[in-house]
Formats: sequence, structure tokens, C-alpha cells
Amino acid sequence: MAVVHNWQIGRSMSYWYPEHRPRRQFAAVFDVNKCIACQTCTLACKTTWTTGKGQEYMLWNNVESKPYGFYPLAWDLKLLKMLGPQEWHGGEYTGRTLFEAAPAGKRVLGWRPDDKDYAYPNVGEDDCAGTIENGAGLSVPHLTWFFYLARICNHCTYPACLASCPRSSIYKRPEDGVVLVDQSRCRGYRECVQACPYKKVFYNPITGTSEKCIACFPKLEAGEQPQCFVNCIGKIRLAGWISTPEKASPDNPIDYLVHVRKVALPLFPQFGLEPNVYYIPPVHAPVSFLRQMFGPRAEAAVRTYQSAAGDPDLAGLLGLFGCTEKVVPRWRRQDEQVIAQDETGREILRVPLREPVHVRKAFDEKYQVARTNCP
Amino acid sequence: MRRNVVSVVIATLAAGLVGAPACRQAPPVPVAEVVAVAHAAVPLDPLDAAWQRAPEHVAVLLLQDLVEPRQTLASTPEVRVRALTDGARIGFRLEWADAVANDLPGAARFSDACAVQLPSKIEPNVPAPQMGEPGRPVEITYWSAAWQANVNGRGDSINDLYPNAAIDHYPFQAASLSPDSSAQREMALRYAPARAVGNPVAGPHASAVQDLVAEGPGTLAPAPPAGSQGLGKRTPAGWAVVIVRRMPDGLTGPTRSQVAFAVWEGSKQEAGAVKMRTGWIPLAVRGQP
Repeated sequence: MAVVHNWQIGRSMSYWYPEHRPRRQFAAVFDVNKCIACQTCTLACKTTWTTGKGQEYMLWNNVESKPYGFYPLAWDLKLLKMLGPQEWHGGEYTGRTLFEAAPAGKRVLGWRPDDKDYAYPNVGEDDCAGTIENGAGLSVPHLTWFFYLARICNHCTYPACLASCPRSSIYKRPEDGVVLVDQSRCRGYRECVQACPYKKVFYNPITGTSEKCIACFPKLEAGEQPQCFVNCIGKIRLAGWISTPEKASPDNPIDYLVHVRKVALPLFPQFGLEPNVYYIPPVHAPVSFLRQMFGPRAEAAVRTYQSAAGDPDLAGLLGLFGCTEKVVPRWRRQDEQVIAQDETGREILRVPLREPVHVRKAFDEKYQVARTNCP
Repeated sequence: MRRNVVSVVIATLAAGLVGAPACRQAPPVPVAEVVAVAHAAVPLDPLDAAWQRAPEHVAVLLLQDLVEPRQTLASTPEVRVRALTDGARIGFRLEWADAVANDLPGAARFSDACAVQLPSKIEPNVPAPQMGEPGRPVEITYWSAAWQANVNGRGDSINDLYPNAAIDHYPFQAASLSPDSSAQREMALRYAPARAVGNPVAGPHASAVQDLVAEGPGTLAPAPPAGSQGLGKRTPAGWAVVIVRRMPDGLTGPTRSQVAFAVWEGSKQEAGAVKMRTGWIPLAVRGQP
């Protein structure tokens, strides 16, 4: 085991391989507050990549309703229970990562889902965190809560799937940090399926190999965002490149949201994988739940997000989500406009900080007729 | 009380004598090495009577606990091995106890399997028994119960694995593509990446075995096709599998080589390095075919 630095947990940790970061790292920010669970992302991915034999059950992208929706069943609860209670002290995680908690004979602490665990995607989606009594659900803030969690492979800096593969069939691309299963080398041992805490590696029973989200790398290579990003109805996603904290640049959208404003957080950072999909936490879920899921900075992130209305830079950047198919490596705000730029600083597009409001009167004075929105 | 015990013993012995066929041969005495007995042909059928001509070696299986992921709990305790050779090919008949056949792949369903390993060269110092070592390869022939089921006729669809699965549509079944046309096959490959890149494990499987070569743990790679064959059948107690492969160069007369075996128990989710295996066992040839 090597010793590597994981900035998300504020300390060094054990990992199977030495630290070797890619030249640039694919990353994403998902704004949980804007997701409506329409599953358009899920279908965009499904129809693009997983409509072959043996891929029927695979959802490289899924959206689940938290706290009781899962895919596969109880993926997070099972692992949290296996890991047991752990602690943070300030920004430093003092508990054990999945690599440090590996049982004898294994490289990673994990579990392997059964066939049936995949058979009921999001089966608990209608179950909220408590009972609604006497119209309490109509009050604000809600006494009960849930939120939608969209998930893809996190293309981790320290992938558990990669560490666990005894054949070195999984690799991390040096040019963009995308984690891939070498389909010519995999023999379907499924150590990766067991090791990935997010359960984003899937076994294809027809071809006998494991498969996973590829971050639509052909699109990335063409400077475009993945399918699940550009098809998102709620415009909750932004793809880009993330730096390590000491190299963070405010004109990099991902760096700005993750490092500068610290409004977007990794999913279960305590697992130790340094995942590269970052979530703006839901504003209405209990802080204790958010801390467990997104780490100790969750409460501050929610506060920052709630202040966005009076913060033209933060609000402006959030307005760039879902506005272009292109990856946006740089951005800037110019008065009331937010500008997306490519690597060279050339403008990709610009959006207004505030959309103009047009009021369409219910009664048309010219034609003396009442307008209606019905067809 | 004592008289009763004596009576039971006598009755048991008598029943055994009455039940035994008069012409039954004494079971072969297990031998300390694997002896490949010369025979005119090496039968592929594990139930062929010719296998009884070869002495049986009972190979104790050990935990693979040298490299991660390790086998930490013992499963299959032993494999019973017989070997025949026709001079050009050598066949190994492996038999082991396994109450339930595991030959159906699935997310968490693993296949029963076994393998034979030989050093690539007959040398005084054999390579490490654990998959060989750099510069000193071993040749492995691997048999899978799941592949055997394919060879025996199980189809190549999700309904063959999950009979109640409902499928809306596959792109390669679009009406615009003629059935079994090159365009349709090309489209199907697009959605089977492991097949598209020619990974031998991806099937469809015309053989239940695969020839492999390794130079240490984690280096297992497909070997050039060597015409190996395999056939596994269920027995009342488990599996009997025959693996027939090319005779190792130089393995004749007094020359000895080494052989090793491995067994994977599907119900225990054993695969890859998680297996029961032997160390090197001496391999000798007896007689002329």
C-alpha cells in the first residue's frame, strides 16, 4: 500500500497505488436542488450506451429519491453499516477509509449486490422520512423531506474499482482522469463490483465482463459534455475540469464552485476515493443527514447556496448550467451577463444574469379578447 | 449390549459382501504423482471407461492465500485426478465434490470452474506454482461450467439466464436490419464491447475451455489457440471434467514434469485469484500408446 494525499478528507491515506494524478481531471457539479427526477438523464445514457444484451439491468446513470430510494438496493446503507460510525475533526476525517478498513485478503471494504438488488430501481422513492399528519405537509418548511440524487460514476482520483482489480484491467486515463474497464482484458471476476462503494461498475452476464460509465469520453474528446448532462431538463449539471485546491483558479467553473465558494461537495468523502462529481446539497434536508452524505462542510454549503440570490457571481455561474453542449473550462461575469469561454478565452456563449421578464396580460385590449394558455 | 454391537457389525459386513458384485475390481490405490497412462486415444468423455486405466491421484486443494484477493475460507477440499496420453495429447480427468451445479452467470452468480497448469518448459527448476513468474511462464487450460452450458445448447440471450425478463427492444433488432445480415451483426457488436474487441471470455462460446498463459499473478493472458478441448459432466457427487491439451514438449519416457490444478466453487463466489489450488505435483508418463 502507498501513502497518498486526499484533500477531501484533509489528510494522507493508504491506497493500493502511489499518487499519480492525471494531466487534468474530469469533474462535474450537480445542483440537487434543481433535479426533478424526470430520469431524462437516465434514458439519455441508457439509449446511448447500454441497450445491448446483458446490459438490460444496467443504469450507468440513475436518479434515486433519498433517503429511501436506491439503485442497487441499499447501496449506501449497507456500506455505511459495514464501515461503522466514524468521525471527522474539523475538516479532517479521522475515521477509516474503505482502503484502510479492508478486511484480510481484500484491498477494499465492500460488498457485492445480488441480482435482486438491481431489480427494483428506486423502489423506496415514495417513502419520505416521516409521516405527514393533519396537513403538516402543506406547511413551510416541510416537516418531512426527501430529495433526488442523480448519480453517475464519480471517476474518482483513487478509484476502488481500479485498486481492487487483480488483473489491472481498470485504468484511469492520464489525459482526462476518466476511469475505464479495459474490455479486452477484463475476465469478469467482479472484484470491482464489490469494491466500488457507489456501485457504478456492472457485470454483463452475456459477455462475462464488467462495464461502467465512460463519461461519454468520445464527447469529452470533442469538447462536449456527456449525454446525461446535455439532456438534463432541469439544467442541474455542469461538466468541466477540477484542480487540486492549491491550484484552484476562480475562472474555472468547477474550481470556483468546489474550492472557492465551497458550495459543491463530494458524495461520501469519508470513503476515501476522492470522487469527482460534486453536489450542491439540498437546502431542506436535515443537516445531520447531509453531513453523513456530503461531509462536515454541508451546512456551510447550504448557507452559501441560499445566499446566491444576492451574489451575482455565484448566481451567474449557476445560470450557465445546462446552457451549452460544450464543456466550459473558463467563465467570467461582465456586469449583467455571464460568459462561458473555451480554453483560449474565446466566448462560447453568454447568458443574462437575470432573465428578462415579460408580462403577458390576461386580456388583449387591442382585440378585446381574453387570452388563455389552453390550446 | 456388547452382543448387540457385535451383531450389528456382523450384519453390516454380511450386507456389504452380499451387495458387492463378484467381479468388482479393487479401486485403484491413489498415487503420489499424476501418471499419464499411454492409451490409443484420449477420450473427451469423463464417463469413458478408459479413464479407469489410469491411477487416481488425490490432490489436496490449498487456499490461494498468497496474493490479494485471497481465499480466506476453505471450500473444495480435494480434486481427484487421472491422466491419459496418446503421445501427442494429454488428457486430465478432474473430479470433485460439489452438491450444486453453478453454471448460470448473473450479477452475483459465479460459475463452477477448474484449470490445469503446466510449466511452459520442462526444466529442473520449475516456475513458481502460483501462476508462474516473469520470464518463466506457465500454460493454463481453464474450463468453465457456464461455457459448458453454452456448448451444451444454452442460448445467448438474457431470457436464457432470466426466463421472465422482458425486453422492449435491442437496436440490432430494428426492422431496418435484415436478420443475420452483416449490418445487423455489426450493430450487435457495437453494444457488446468485450466481443467487439475480441475478448475470448465474451463468447459466444463454442468451447468450454480456454488456453491461457501467465508469468505471475495478475498476468493471465490468452494463449495462441492450441486446440485444447474440454467436457464437464455432472456426477452424483459433483463434477467430472476432462481437459485435453497438447502434450508438453519433452514429456516422454523417464522425463518428468509438473502439473497443478485449481477449482473454483461458484456458490462461494470464487473467481480469479479467489480459488482452491494445488502446488506443483510431479507428472510422469507410463507406457507407449
